[in-house]
Parts: sequence; C-alpha cells; structure tokens
Amino acid sequence: MADSPEEIYKSIRKIKLIGLVLAVFTVLTVGLSYVELPTHSLNMMVGMLLATFKAALVALIFMHLNHEKALVYKILAFTVAFAVALFVLFYLSNSEGLIDEGFENPTAVMEVQE
Amino acid sequence: MDIPYTVSARPDTGLYNAKVGIWLFLASEVMLFGGLFSSYIFLRVGADYPWPVHELNVTLGFINTLVLIGSSVTVLLAWASIKLRQFGAYKVYMAITILCAMTFMVIKSFEYKAKFEHYSVTLTDGTILTGHLPHGYEIEFGDVKELSMTIAGKTSAVDADPVGYVLPYLKGTAPKFKTESGTEIELNKVSFAALKAEVLAAAKAKATNPKELPSTTIKLVAASPMTFSVPMSKFLARPALDAKSFTFRDGTSVEGKIINDQMTLEVDGLDVRGTPDKEKSLAFNEHYLGTAWKNAFIHQRDEAIAEFKKEFDDGKGGTSRDPKKSATQQKKLFYVHIHSAIPEVHAENGSAHHSEAHAPAEEHGAAHAAHHPEVKLERKDVQFFSNFTPKLNSYYAIYFTLTGLHGLHVIAGALVLAYFLVFDGRRLREDPEHMANRVEVGGLFWHFVDLVWIFLFPLLYLL
Repeated sequence: MADSPEEIYKSIRKIKLIGLVLAVFTVLTVGLSYVELPTHSLNMMVGMLLATFKAALVALIFMHLNHEKALVYKILAFTVAFAVALFVLFYLSNSEGLIDEGFENPTAVMEVQE
Repeated sequence: MDIPYTVSARPDTGLYNAKVGIWLFLASEVMLFGGLFSSYIFLRVGADYPWPVHELNVTLGFINTLVLIGSSVTVLLAWASIKLRQFGAYKVYMAITILCAMTFMVIKSFEYKAKFEHYSVTLTDGTILTGHLPHGYEIEFGDVKELSMTIAGKTSAVDADPVGYVLPYLKGTAPKFKTESGTEIELNKVSFAALKAEVLAAAKAKATNPKELPSTTIKLVAASPMTFSVPMSKFLARPALDAKSFTFRDGTSVEGKIINDQMTLEVDGLDVRGTPDKEKSLAFNEHYLGTAWKNAFIHQRDEAIAEFKKEFDDGKGGTSRDPKKSATQQKKLFYVHIHSAIPEVHAENGSAHHSEAHAPAEEHGAAHAAHHPEVKLERKDVQFFSNFTPKLNSYYAIYFTLTGLHGLHVIAGALVLAYFLVFDGRRLREDPEHMANRVEVGGLFWHFVDLVWIFLFPLLYLL
C-alpha cells in the first residue's frame, strides 16, 4: 500500500488519469455503437471488449487488484471460475437461436424456412 | 475489547480483516450479477422479437455512466485525503461522491417514470404502435342492474368486497340497492358487513356441519341502471370483445353491455417489423393513422433502401452487407418516429394527402397532443398492450431486474459512505488509519457498483 505522501500524490495523479481514460472510453463506446459494422455481432464484440477493458482498469487500478495479497486472488479464483461457467452455459442450450436473424421479423424467418 | 487487525494487517494473510470480508462479499456479488447477466444472454438469444437497440435514453445513460466514474474517482480521492490527513478535503470528496450517487438515482427515476408512462400496443397483424394514453385505458359498460357476489363459507377463501373493488368505478353516485329479502340499502362498508353477517348466519343455521359452510351468493338489485368505467387491470379476467358479463377482481360479477372500449393513443412511434404485409398494416387504416402516414412510411423506407444501396454498393449491383442483418437498417426501414400531428409532405408525394391526416381536434389542442396524432383504437384490433415494464417483453424484464438491483446497490453504497461522513467524525480525528481502511473498503464496494454499470450501460442501452 502506498503510504508515504509522495506515493499518495503519485497515486492521486494516476487515479485522475484513469478516470479521464474511463470517460474517454465511454464516449468511444457510445460513438462506436452507432457505427454500422459488417454484422451486429461485431458491434457487440467491440462494445464488450471496450467494456471489459474499462472494467479491468477499475478492477486493477481503482480496486488495487494489480498488487493485492494472495488470499484475495484465491477468493476471486473461485468466483472467476464459476462466473465463466455461467457465461458459457448458453452454449449448452440447444436452441436454434435468433442471433443472426433476430432483427428480421420472426414470421418472415419462418416463411423462409418453410 | 478491541477488534484485532482493523488497522494493521494480519501477519498470515497480509490483509486487515475488513478487506478479506469485503472481497468475500464482492465475490458473492459477482455471482449474483453473473447469474443475471447469464439470464440476459439466454433471453436475448431466445428472443422472438427484434431486441431493442438504442431504445432507452442513451444521453441519460451516458451522463449516468460519467456520474458513476466521477464518483469512483472522488471516493479514492477521499481515501487519499485521509492518508494525507487533509480532513477538510476528505469531507468534500466524500460529499461529492454521495451527491453523485443521488444524481444517478434521480436520473434513473426519470428514466423509469418515462417508461411507466409510455405504452406499446400490438395490433392483431403484428404492427406495434407506441405512445401515451392521455386518459388511461378504461372499458365503459352500462345497463347494469344487478351485482352478484359470492360469500365464501371458509374464511380463507377470496371474499367479495364490492365496496372496495366495484363501487370506485361506478359513474355517478351509487344508487340504492334492494337485497333479496327486499330491504333497501345504501351500499357502503357498514351496510355490506351487516348484510354479509346476515347471510353467513343464515347459512350457518342451515348447515349440517358448521365447520364446512357452503358458499352463498348475494344479489343486489340496483334501483336504477348503472354505468361503470373500469381500467383493464381492475377486471378479474379481461372481458371478451362481445362480453355480456364482467367480473371484478373480488369476484363480483355483473351483466351489462359494452358502451365504449376504444383506446385513445397519442402515437409517437410505428413499428411494422413484425407485420407480414407492411403497407397494408392496420395502422394505416383511414380511421387510424391514414394514408398520409403510410406515404411517409413508404418515403422513409425507400429513402433508407436507396441510402443503404449507395453506402454498401459492392459494384455488382448488390450490397456488400445483408440489410436483413442490420439492426439499424431494419429500424430505418420499418420504424417510423412520429413527432408531429401530421407527416411532413415530401415533394415527390406532393399530393394533398396532408389534409387527410388525423390532426387532433381543436378541443384536444393541448401542446402535448399537437405533436402526435391521436388514434382511437378499436379493441378488436388490439392484440396486446402494456406500458414499458417487465410485462411488455423479456428485454424490459431483464432491464428492470438488472437496473433495479444495481440501483439498490447504489443506494446501499451511498448509505454506507454517508454513514462514514456523518457519524464517523470521531474516528476520523482519533484513528485516521482505521478510518482510511473503512473508506477503502466502502470504496471497494462502490467501485464494484461502478464496474457492474460499465457492463450494464452498453448491454442495455447501446448494443
């Protein structure tokens, strides 16, 4: 933990800088969401990558996860494992899904399939 | 006894105790929100309607994101200020953090309120009209001469309560009623309770097993025919189109006829993405939006097609991108924002169609109504309607669940930080290192709340 006044002043500068970076990335996220990429899935991927980057900044710098004691990482290892499991769960569902066709009207999709 | 390791680190973990505690708590919080984010994926993948993109107020969401990021910075600055023993600065930064939390909640409540007051009406052909219901939506039925209700023998069963559930929707003053025994009563809490007691006593006298009283019915005949005006939600079940009898939520049923079941909607949006034959959408009927808006829709659609062709020209007469897979293009093609009572007239459609448009009548000339055409929807044309709440679709269900839970976290976090600011002054002066640790732990929770919002904002507002 940064404790000497010099180190604290240094970390204050860092905090403000990261805050600014986060704001800039928010603007970027909003702007890019209006840009038509070849597929909407790409838009989603870009948006999620930006969000993950922002979240990483918050977790690593603001929540000091870049230099934490081993116990914290041990606790979080379980969480990460279970959370990842939650997010891949939907791959196990065997629904056809409308990821690609979702923006058409469903009746039209059905007509095409028939 | 002092609690150990509130200030200094425990030698074996290298952490002070509260820090282990907050990380264990945050780990479980990740699982809580993780489950909901996972639900979001499932609902989105399985949605059988176009998933809303940019449908929420992006500006407000954007401002709220900045507000939360700002508060994350100030809570860290508050911590740093204690470390530097600048107690004045600490208080200012902490106050700013709490103000940010309040700003966030105020903005969020405006967003919620707008959704509660906004309605979506699906017509029977799949066309969706959105707008406001200036007078709510009530079914009016009249010629009602009799109230009939069931008094349950068992106390646990649902009991009739016409005073609370029926009379509020009566138009005019309540007439006198005649009971089956011929006495004339004014229907109110006291007289109904007396009547009920009388009926139950009679049932008890007749019953062979007093523990199993049969249900009895009460019929009240009105002195003059009554007319009711009832919001849809106040019926036990939605009455059928040609219903002759209506049941209120307490089980009281009446017989009568529908006088008026039109829904007056100030239309602000037209969505034909789910309509098989878009140009023949019910919404373009003459007594609804009419041909003027149909022409406006066709004009907008053709313009969007031309623009899309120009933008994604592949040089071979086709487009390099499938318009059906473009959410934006689908919206441009089939979604019309309606901000004026009559559509703008375009030169190429330059006939006199604007005069046919349904401008609001003069008596409705309020500033609000003038910006939107007002249509009176026949109930036979309405398949489903709801305000923008979880009932509308799975998107709004997960939107309110996620943002509601997140909002509760904002409130909880703000309360903890406010406690530090208001009630922990002595600790701040006498044991600033302990106070710094407290603020650090509160801050960790606050950053987590920010972190969740960083994902919520793009998922719900942008993508």
